[in-house]
Amino acid sequence: MRSRRSAFVWLLDKERRELAASKSWWVMLLAMGPLVGVSFISAVRTYAEASGLNGTSAGVGEAFSPLVGVWAPTFSACELAAAFLLPFVGIRLVSGDRQSGALKLELQHPMPAFVRLGAKAMVLLSAWIVALLAPLIAVVLWRSYGGAIYLPELATVAAGHLLNAGLTVALAASTAAITEHPSTAAILTLTVTVGTWIVNFIAAVQGGVWERVAGYTPTAMVGEFQHGLVRLDVVSIAAALIASGLVVAAIWLRLGMPVRRRAYESIALGALTAATLFACTFITPSWDFSENRMNSFARADEEALEQIHAPLSIEAHLAPEDPRRVDLERRALSKLRRVMPQAQVRYVSATSIGIFEQTSQHYGEIWYDLGGKRTMNRATTAEGVLEAIYDLAGVKPPVETDEIFRGHPLAVAPKGAAAVFYGIWPALVVAGAFFVRRRRA
Amino acid sequence: MLLQATGLTKRYGDFSALTDVSFSIRPGEILGLIGPNGSGKTTLFECLAGVLPADGGTLRHDDRVVPPGARSSILFYMPDAIAPWPSQTVRWALDFTAGFFGGTVPESGPDIVPQLDLVPLLDAPIGTLSKGQRKRVLLAIGLLTPQPVLLADEPFDGLDLRQTRDVARALRSYAAAGRTLFLSIHQISDAARICDRFVLLSAGRVCGEGTPAELSSLAAARGTPPAADLEEVFLALT
Repeated sequence: MRSRRSAFVWLLDKERRELAASKSWWVMLLAMGPLVGVSFISAVRTYAEASGLNGTSAGVGEAFSPLVGVWAPTFSACELAAAFLLPFVGIRLVSGDRQSGALKLELQHPMPAFVRLGAKAMVLLSAWIVALLAPLIAVVLWRSYGGAIYLPELATVAAGHLLNAGLTVALAASTAAITEHPSTAAILTLTVTVGTWIVNFIAAVQGGVWERVAGYTPTAMVGEFQHGLVRLDVVSIAAALIASGLVVAAIWLRLGMPVRRRAYESIALGALTAATLFACTFITPSWDFSENRMNSFARADEEALEQIHAPLSIEAHLAPEDPRRVDLERRALSKLRRVMPQAQVRYVSATSIGIFEQTSQHYGEIWYDLGGKRTMNRATTAEGVLEAIYDLAGVKPPVETDEIFRGHPLAVAPKGAAAVFYGIWPALVVAGAFFVRRRRA
Repeated sequence: MLLQATGLTKRYGDFSALTDVSFSIRPGEILGLIGPNGSGKTTLFECLAGVLPADGGTLRHDDRVVPPGARSSILFYMPDAIAPWPSQTVRWALDFTAGFFGGTVPESGPDIVPQLDLVPLLDAPIGTLSKGQRKRVLLAIGLLTPQPVLLADEPFDGLDLRQTRDVARALRSYAAAGRTLFLSIHQISDAARICDRFVLLSAGRVCGEGTPAELSSLAAARGTPPAADLEEVFLALT
């Protein structure tokens, strides 16, 4: 009797079984419950206290958004798991075949290497989706407490973590394929992860091009998704890196190819990826899925800014670590770039922290140049920036028509969450692991 | 002639693992690759199968050169000392082999299972098997694949006398059914028991190729007494 399933389905089934047999996946699942639990419980408690629980002044929770108050911290557990647990699951799945000798058998099927690796990637992403059940339970609990849910922003957060997991899987797969031993792959993967943190650190100190590069690290990417912002350039770059990582892994899993040829192919792919990434940085569309439009100016302001066609350049005399620069970026310039993507922003400073520049003549000044007309102010708020631009453009500030976001304060304790995340979840995972092992034995 | 290998060469830095290796494989035969440890038998198999890049040489089938990437349509290589899919059961591994590689699974289960005495092992994870048990499972996997030529590295390693005879019988039955077998064997007595022809390999070079009679003549030409057994022929030629 000839098998009715295609070779790819057989491979997919094999990868699924290998995943279920890997202790690393069960450990990741086990850890997800308490990790998400501790973040969720702490976030809900803080949210409740700010909303008036246990005598906090009423009204403090006004304008509270679950996106920032609950979902960003709750899902941050996923970022931790993606950085420190998921790589080992990926490395186990890719290196396991080489260690056991199964790769030498499977390579004798004419299936293209990328398809072969695609099966592993699909199973790993499915594994991550199963792990995302933990934050999904948090969503159900939040709803049961009477908490408000705005689906677009919640989906954005989840999508950000899925993309981040994709990056981790691609990185782990490529290091596991390139290196002979899983421990070397683990060290290499963590080195890259720590490397992106170093880039973030240098960006915070040096600014300039580092700041631009740091905007595309996984941490920065997840941060934007956690604020409900989806930038097409960031998504494109992440997708290019995921594809590139998987192709590198596919190249190095072809053991029958001479090492030199694999190295040349990898270098060519690296060059192509670098060019693609550079091109992606020019993509400007973005979408703000947050309920309170925290990444956008008021609609009336956006419409007014869209009518200004003269070239705008901004020169801010603020050091990278100056809190005013952070304010200016978060409150105004990041929103401005979404409406006026051609606006040029240049930071000028002689030091990184700015504290010794305070007495310099121009420090703290923000210069605006719109079609040759210049003005200066020192305001780092959205209102200050808009006022300067409207002033230069000769535009009357529009009347705000947006409905004011009233927030969703919720003064309830996270009842039952500890039992779910610290008791039921681990028990179910352990039971699942035993069940799967018994079925195989 | 089914396959013709010509000038196969493999180097690791300054060390030459295979030097200008040439030989042929005839349809339906059991060809033995004999050589001492470190003579390059495994390297030769891996280069033939395309899982290790060779530095030179060709493999021809029907007078056409078969590039490494296309060899999986003609031959299947079963490595020695591997424990593939250690968490999975023997039953699943056999099913997977037949399904993934496009073989056929008989309605009543593959015949190879009772032939290699695998029935008691079907539900055992491969990682828990002894060396001899694993070897029989690997052979079953190799025999289930659909390629016309099977390259098996040390198929008798780890087997006791009874198991060696059973495996030899099973291999003969597959060869009789038309499967061509190329077996790497370092125990010459085992090789003499099953193989039709031999390729002698020493220090990465082919020292002789042919039937026992042909090899004996070759050895005699080098001064070995006639009627010498295969071991003496091997020693004389290597």
